[in-house]
Amino acid sequence: MRNLIKLAMTLSVLLLASQILLAGGDIKGRINFKGSGPKPRAIKMAADPVCKVAHSEPVYSQSVVVNENATLRYVMVSIESGLEGQTFPVPEEPVVLDQNGCMYDPHVWGAMAGQTVEIRNSDGTLHNVHSLSKVNRQFNMAMPKIVKKKNKVFDKPEDIFAIKCDVHPWMRCWVGIFSHPFYSVSDDQGDFTLKDVPAGTYTVRAWHESKRLLAQTQTITVKEGETITLDFTFEAPTRK
Amino acid sequence: MENMLGLPPLASVHGAGIDRLLGWVHWLMAVLFVGWGIYFIYTVIRFRSARQPKADYVGVTSHYSSYIEGGVALFEAILLIGLALPIWATVKNDFPEESQATVVRVVSEQFAWNIHYPGADGIFGKTSLDLLDAETNPLGLDRSDPYAQDDITTINQLHLPVNKPVIIHLTSKDVIHSFGLPEMRVKQDAIPGMSIPVWFIPTLTTAELREIKEDPNVTFEIACAQLCGLGHYRMRGFLTVETQEEFDAWLAEEAAAQQEEAGDDDWW
Amino acid sequence: MSTHGDHQEMSFWRKYIFSQDHKIIGLQYGITALFFLLAGFTMMMMMRWQLAYPGQPVPFIGGLLGEDNAPGGIILPEFYNQLGAMHGTIMIFLGVVPLAVGAFGNYIVPLQIGAPDMAFPKINMTSYWAYFLGGVIMMVSFFVPGGAANSGWTSYPPLADIATMGQTFWLFGMIFLITSSLLGSINFITTIIQLRVKGLTWMRLPFFVWAQLVTAFLLLLAFPSLEAAGVLQLMDRLLGTSFFLPSGLVVSGQILEVSGGGSPLLWQHLFWFLAHPEVYVLILPAMGIVAEVIATNTRKPLWGYKSMVYSTIFLGFMSFVVWAHHMYLTGMGTAISAFFQTTTMIISIPSVVILTALLLSLWGGSIRFTTPMLFALGFLPMFAIGGLTGLPLGLAAADIPLHDTYYVIGHFHYIVAPGTIFALFAGIYHWYPKITGRQLSETLGKVHFWGSMVFMNGIFMPMFVQGLAGVSRRLWDAGEQYAHASGVLWTNEWMSISAWLLFVFQLPFIYNILRSLRGPKVESDNPWQATTLEWATTSPPGHGNFATPPVVYRGAYEYSVPGHEADFLPQNQPEKG
Repeated sequence: MRNLIKLAMTLSVLLLASQILLAGGDIKGRINFKGSGPKPRAIKMAADPVCKVAHSEPVYSQSVVVNENATLRYVMVSIESGLEGQTFPVPEEPVVLDQNGCMYDPHVWGAMAGQTVEIRNSDGTLHNVHSLSKVNRQFNMAMPKIVKKKNKVFDKPEDIFAIKCDVHPWMRCWVGIFSHPFYSVSDDQGDFTLKDVPAGTYTVRAWHESKRLLAQTQTITVKEGETITLDFTFEAPTRK
Repeated sequence: MENMLGLPPLASVHGAGIDRLLGWVHWLMAVLFVGWGIYFIYTVIRFRSARQPKADYVGVTSHYSSYIEGGVALFEAILLIGLALPIWATVKNDFPEESQATVVRVVSEQFAWNIHYPGADGIFGKTSLDLLDAETNPLGLDRSDPYAQDDITTINQLHLPVNKPVIIHLTSKDVIHSFGLPEMRVKQDAIPGMSIPVWFIPTLTTAELREIKEDPNVTFEIACAQLCGLGHYRMRGFLTVETQEEFDAWLAEEAAAQQEEAGDDDWW
Repeated sequence: MSTHGDHQEMSFWRKYIFSQDHKIIGLQYGITALFFLLAGFTMMMMMRWQLAYPGQPVPFIGGLLGEDNAPGGIILPEFYNQLGAMHGTIMIFLGVVPLAVGAFGNYIVPLQIGAPDMAFPKINMTSYWAYFLGGVIMMVSFFVPGGAANSGWTSYPPLADIATMGQTFWLFGMIFLITSSLLGSINFITTIIQLRVKGLTWMRLPFFVWAQLVTAFLLLLAFPSLEAAGVLQLMDRLLGTSFFLPSGLVVSGQILEVSGGGSPLLWQHLFWFLAHPEVYVLILPAMGIVAEVIATNTRKPLWGYKSMVYSTIFLGFMSFVVWAHHMYLTGMGTAISAFFQTTTMIISIPSVVILTALLLSLWGGSIRFTTPMLFALGFLPMFAIGGLTGLPLGLAAADIPLHDTYYVIGHFHYIVAPGTIFALFAGIYHWYPKITGRQLSETLGKVHFWGSMVFMNGIFMPMFVQGLAGVSRRLWDAGEQYAHASGVLWTNEWMSISAWLLFVFQLPFIYNILRSLRGPKVESDNPWQATTLEWATTSPPGHGNFATPPVVYRGAYEYSVPGHEADFLPQNQPEKG
C-alpha cells in the first residue's frame, strides 16, 4: 500500500516537474575574494595514528580556502526564494559523504529533502556522525571501523547546519537540505553552476561557513534557454 | 604480592606506595579467604549428615572468631592509617612548586584530550568561549593575548620529561571524563565547571617501557575511564615520557610549527 | 485488612490480577521479577558477544535488533551503551530487589510473623502495579528515537542531561519504581512492628524478618534522595533548568544554551546516597534467606543470632555514611576522604561478623545437602569474594588504579550475582513447596546449582585479572585498542562462553519450576521439618494464612534441642505439661 502511494506520488511529481523543467536556463558564476585569507592551519592528525598515517603531507583546515585565482572555495550557492509552490522530484541516486583520512569529503554539500545520503567510512578507525540539525531530527551515530556504509535521509528542508565527528574534533562538514535541486558549491576555481533553473525571478544566496563572511543575496531573472552569469564577491574582514 | 597481581609496569614515584597498599590488601584478602575456605571445606565434609546424624545444639563455644574479627579490624586500621591515608595526602596535598614542575592543562571533550602547554613564559594564555572553533581552535585560545602567543596545544598527544614533577590542571568542556594513566597509577575525573589539579613524577620513559614490554611501538596511554558517550571506548590519548632534552626538542618543534601559523587571525 | 472467613467468591481479576492478598502479590512480584532477570541476562549475553568478538554480527538474534542498533547484526556503540545502562537498571531495580523484597518479603514475612496479611493490602497492590508500570516504561524506552537510556545505570549528568529521549523514559520509570519501593517499605515496617503474633518478641523473629525490616528502613530513607534527584534531572531535560549543568558547557563544538550554574557532583551525591544503601537492600534479604536455609539444613540453631541481628542494624545505619566512597576520584580532598574511608572500613566489620556467624553455624551441624542448602553454601564463599574485593576499592589510594575498571564490575557482581542471586535461588527451592504445595526435582536442582556455580565464576573471576591490568569498564570493544589491555583480553572469550553456558544451566531450573507445578503434592505441610511459622499452616496457605492465629513459645531456630525426640521444635508448639 505504502509503495503504491509512493509510486503515485512520484509519478505525479514527475509529471508536474517535466512541465516546468522543459523551460529552464542555467545560472553560472564565480565567487571572487578580495584580500587574503587566514593563515592555513595544519590539522593535528597526530591525535589518531590511523589519521596520521593516511596522509604523507600536512593537511590544512578547509574552513576558509582562498583559491590561487583569488576566488573562494566552499561557498554554497542556492536559490533562496522564487520557487514557492513548486515541487521537484527527489533524485534516486544518493548523495555520498565520505570520511576519508579523517576528513569529510565533500566539505560543503547539499541534498534534497528525502534524498538518501550514503555515509561512508573509508578509515580504519571510529568516526561518529553527529548531525547538529535543528529542523531534522538530530542524530549521533557511531561508525566503528567495521561499519563501512550507512544510509540516512533528511526529511525536511533545512538551512545549512554542521555535521561533526567528535572523535576527531576537527572533522566538520556543512550541509544544506533543499526542497529543490538548485544548489551548488564553489570549486577550486571558485566556480558554481545551477542547472536547468525554470524561468522566473529568484533570490540567489551565497553562503560561507565563516562567521565573518556574511551571506549575500542577489535577485536575478532566468529566461528559457539562457545562461545567466552571476558573480559574488566576498571581502576579507577587518578585525572589530 | 604486588608482583603477582598483574598490574601494569610501574612508572611513577607515588605509584610504588599504591602498589604496596594493593599488595598488602590482597594479602589480607588471600589469608582470610584461604582461612575461611579451609574451615568451610573441612566443616561441610566433617559435619555432613551421614557422618553426623544428630546436630550439636550448642555448636562452637570458643571465642576465636571474635579474635579473628578483631584482628581483621586491626589490620584494616593499620592499612588505613599506615598506608592509605598518607598516600592520599601525598597525592592530594604535597604539590610541588609550579616553577619546579612541568605544568600542563588538559581539557577533555567528547571524545578527545586537548593538551595545553603554557610555552616559554610559563603562563597559560587567555581562552574564551567565543573564539572556540572545533576545527581550528578547540580550546578557544586567544592568540592576541601576549601570554598566549607561545602557547602550544595538541590533541591526544601529551609529552612529559622524566623524573620531574608534573602538574596537570584537568577540566572538561562537556561531560564527565576520567583521565587515566594506568602505568602512572593516576586516575582523576575531569568534571566540567571544575579544574582539578593532579600531580605525579614519571620515572619510566617510553623507551624504557618499550624495552620492558619488548614491543617497539608501545606507548603510555591516556585511557578515558568514565563513560562519556558512544565514543568512550575510543577516547584514547598518548603519553610520551622522554628525557628533558628530548622533551625540550619536541616542545621547540611544536612551538615552531604553531608559531608559523599563529598570527593574529583567530577572530576569522 | 482482610479478615479470615470472608471466603466469598472473587472474580478472576480481583483474585489474581488486582489482588490484595500478599501471597498473590508476592507471586506477581516473583514472576515479573524473574522475567526481568531473564531480560537483563539476555542483554548481558548480547554484550558478552560484542566483548568476545568485537564487531562481529550477533548470531541468531542479530537480525532482530534493528538497523539503527545493529546494522547487519553488529552491535553499535550507542546500542551497547543502551544495553549496559539497561542491564544494570533492570537487574537491580526490576529484577533482584523486587524478587528479594517484593516477592520473598511479601510472601514470607506475614507468614513468618503469623499475620493474616500485610498491614495495608491496597498499598501493597498499588506498590506492585507502580513497579509493573515502571518496568513497562523501561522496556518501551528501547523503541523511542535514539533508543533506551545509554548513560549507564548511574545516569551521571551532564551526559544524561543531554542524552537521547530514552533517558527521559528512564527517569519516569525510576520515579514509578521508587514510588513502588517507598509504598512497600512503609507496609513492611508497619506489618513487622504491628502484626507479630502473640509471643513473637523481637529476639524470636526469624533472621529473614529482621533483614527485611532493616531493608525496608533503608528503602524508606534512601530512595527519596534519588526520587528528588530524578525529578531534578527531568526538569533539566524538559524544563530547561540547570541543577546539574555548570556554566560554559561546549558540546560537540557548540556552546550549550543553558542557564548553567549547576553542579554535576550534586547528582552523584544524591544518587549514591541511595545507591550505596541499595547495595545492602540487595544483600540483606539474601543473607536472611541464607540464614533460614542454613538453620533448617544444619538442624541446629544459628550461631550468634543476636550478633547477626545487631550487625544487621549496625550495617543499616552505617550504609548511610559511606556513599561517597564511590566518588574518591571526583576531586575529593583528604579530610572528607578520610571520613569515608574510615566508615567504609568500619562497615566491613559487621559484614565479616554476619559471614562468620553463618560459617560457624555449620560447625556441629548435621548438614543435609539439599538443593537450597547447596545454593546457600555456595553463597558464602561467593559473598566472601565480593566483600573482600571491596576492601581495596574502599581505600582511596588503592581505588586510583582500580576505579572504573573491571575489578569494580567483578566486585559487585560477586555480591549480587553468585551472591544475592544464589540466595534467591536457595529461597525459591526452599519455599517452593510452601508456595505450590509441590516439590522441585532435586536432581535438576543440583544440575542447576553446579552449572551455575562453575560458570558464574567463569564469568566474574577473570574480571579481577582484567581490572588489575587496568582495563576500563564500559568499553564497546572491550579495550581492544589499548596496549595495557592486550595481555588479558583473551579471557573475554572464556567469560562470554561461560555466560552462555550459564544460560544453558538455567534451563533445567525453568523446566523444573514449570514441570513441578504438575508434580505430586508434598506429603507434609512442613517437608523440610522447619521451625518457623510459615510451615505451621497449609501449603499453599489459604486466604488469611492461618486457620487460627498461632502463638509463639520460643526462638526461631530451636533445632536438635537436647532432651527432645524430634530434631526440631516449631515456634508455635506448646511446651509439654
